[in-house]
Amino acid sequence: MSIWEQYKNSDWAEPFLMGSVFLFAGISVVLYLLIIKSRNRKIKQEKLRNEYEQIIVELMYSVVFMDAPFSSVKDDPNYVMFLKNAYFREVLSESVINLHKNYDGVYALKLEQFYKESELIKSSLKKLKSHKWEVKCKGITELAEMNITDASEKMISISKSKNKVLKITAINASIRLEGVKGIIHLTEHAYPIDDWTQLNIINAFKKHDIGDTQGVEYLLESKNTTVVALALKLIKELKLTQKLHHVKLLTERAPNTLIQYEAQSVLKALTVNLTNE
Amino acid sequence: MSFFNSETIWFLDVYILLILGYAILIMSSYLILAYLSTKALRSYLKKNSFVDYEVLLTSEFAPKLSLIAPAYNEGFTIEENVKSLLSLNYNNYEVIVVNDGSKDNSMEILINTYNLVLKELRFDSKIETKKVRGIYISKNTAFKKLIVVDKENGGKADALNVGLNIAQNPYVVCIDVDCILDKDSLLKLAKPFLESHGKRIIATGGVVRIANQCVIRNGRLVEVNIPDVMLPRIQVLEYLRAFLLGRMAWGRLDGLLLISGAFGAFDKEIALLSGGYNTKTVGEDMELVVRMRRYMVENKLPYSVSYIPDPLCWTEAPEDFKIFKKQRSRWMRGTIETLAIHKKMFLNPKYKLLGLISIPYWTFFEFLAPAIEFTGLIITLLFMLFGFIHWHFFLLLVLFVYTFAVFFSVIALFSEEFTYHKYPKQTDFFKLLLAAFIEPIYFHPLTVYAALVGYKEKIMGTKGWGEMTRKGFTKKE
Repeated sequence: MSIWEQYKNSDWAEPFLMGSVFLFAGISVVLYLLIIKSRNRKIKQEKLRNEYEQIIVELMYSVVFMDAPFSSVKDDPNYVMFLKNAYFREVLSESVINLHKNYDGVYALKLEQFYKESELIKSSLKKLKSHKWEVKCKGITELAEMNITDASEKMISISKSKNKVLKITAINASIRLEGVKGIIHLTEHAYPIDDWTQLNIINAFKKHDIGDTQGVEYLLESKNTTVVALALKLIKELKLTQKLHHVKLLTERAPNTLIQYEAQSVLKALTVNLTNE
Repeated sequence: MSFFNSETIWFLDVYILLILGYAILIMSSYLILAYLSTKALRSYLKKNSFVDYEVLLTSEFAPKLSLIAPAYNEGFTIEENVKSLLSLNYNNYEVIVVNDGSKDNSMEILINTYNLVLKELRFDSKIETKKVRGIYISKNTAFKKLIVVDKENGGKADALNVGLNIAQNPYVVCIDVDCILDKDSLLKLAKPFLESHGKRIIATGGVVRIANQCVIRNGRLVEVNIPDVMLPRIQVLEYLRAFLLGRMAWGRLDGLLLISGAFGAFDKEIALLSGGYNTKTVGEDMELVVRMRRYMVENKLPYSVSYIPDPLCWTEAPEDFKIFKKQRSRWMRGTIETLAIHKKMFLNPKYKLLGLISIPYWTFFEFLAPAIEFTGLIITLLFMLFGFIHWHFFLLLVLFVYTFAVFFSVIALFSEEFTYHKYPKQTDFFKLLLAAFIEPIYFHPLTVYAALVGYKEKIMGTKGWGEMTRKGFTKKE
């Protein structure tokens, strides 16, 4: 039967309309129920989080300020149940990492020790093996924050990923843990590095206060012009006047006029800086 | 139907089939766009959770922006609005307020508040505009980012063109001076310009949301509320559908034709090469985007238009029907004018997705939809008059359309719930849900009517915006 004949024979119309009405109404109800469920879950989680955070504050106080060893905390009946709870461990992990951001010196070291002894590190390392890039990113951020240098090789290898967000996160972590060594492999990088990634790399150097910039000049020798541009920006932003000689050499053998112009501009800016000093 | 001959019956059959086909096509397109939007939104949010915008805040390499804010008779709010523009989270930017020949005391307020003095500023008038009476800068270094231009009245597009001529920076952000911007809005808007992969990003746009009844303090939005009045409340829902379920998908497909005039960033060089804003249309925001895209395609330059789904800009929606009708009829005129100016692109494979999908979509589903709906209404009334209505079937059809409309609004609420969650109060959620049920029978007919007025105004040759009085934001302290 042709479409026209089927249409003329309007038997289909009523079931089609009825079916559609029920389908739209049915899905709307399901979506509505999902919204309600999500809202309830959020309220419940919020409550639970508040409760856990109070316990974590006490726990952190005894570990960081009272010098209580983790072995004693582990056997404490007040904590033993919680430490087995996955959501509690998740909140605990977030708290330890956030706390670490605000502390230096001995307190930071105590937190790092706690992170290792409480095996929170294990879940971070497990995240690195995930197939989901966003989970990997989370793991990388946690390990970098807690200064787990053992994971730096893995991070450098992840930083070669084609997923841009993952790449930026891993490069940032590598810079934090290894300094210039964390980006030196970019010399051989085959693809263009966009401005956003470049700015993230520069920011990582500033944020983590990387003093030793030995090796940045190697990036100037890359065949990838975006890597060269990155190196020039790094030298300019970090005011690395000790690299002036390398920049000068680049102006003489720049791969294109744009790089040559940028190199000259960096040279000029740094020379002015040097004169002012 | 005995007194109809067979040809007439055949014609009616074909008409009904076409209308049914049209309805199914428009509904399917909405669902496809909603699906693409949701996917794109999830991906964006996932990526965005690892983005550190501080990178832009602290870097001298962040894109340099010029904010252009045209102002006409904004004396009542201009002081606070400019202050909030000057305190955005960004470093590399300047604010150009263009006083478009206001009849009120806007200029006086600006001069006194910001300690302005006339400045001889040379600029290249790449675009013809109305006469600039003077350019002012502040004596106070705290306002060194501010430039105020006083010019003869020429309309919003003309004022924006003056801004384009004067802007010192490579990117311009065109905004409505009375909009409330998110503190990080410039950071988010600027980022895509750094992410091009061999393609030049020529424009970026963000989401606009309704601020009626929200709490505004010192030019910043501090509490989100749902309006009690039904007209703006339904517009909250309408904006959610348009921005979360529509434009996000067009952005993903790179077929976006419209970046809201309330808040959008452009590559200044391309905007100037394309000729700047068209002063002969009231849809200058959409027209500029289409013209810039057309310029890039015709010159075989790889490009992209980016879209940010974060709520970056909050605006006041009309609360009474008279102003609402003016706004929507103007939108329709703008659509007709843009489509007419660029009719060459319609179904033209040279313009790829733009010519084959975006422009036809706007033609059939934005421009023609109200006319088709109105024709349907007339024919239904005629059928009723002649007693041809098959009531059972008719009611089923009405129910079909109604449930789809509610269903689509619920999808928008669902999407909002699992993404930005800006309306956490239970009462607000139920207010929006109620609006979803009322919208098809109250709001939608109003929009169709306003669009028909737009057709009429276009036919009658009406020009200009008309007076758009605003109530001003409710400030709960």
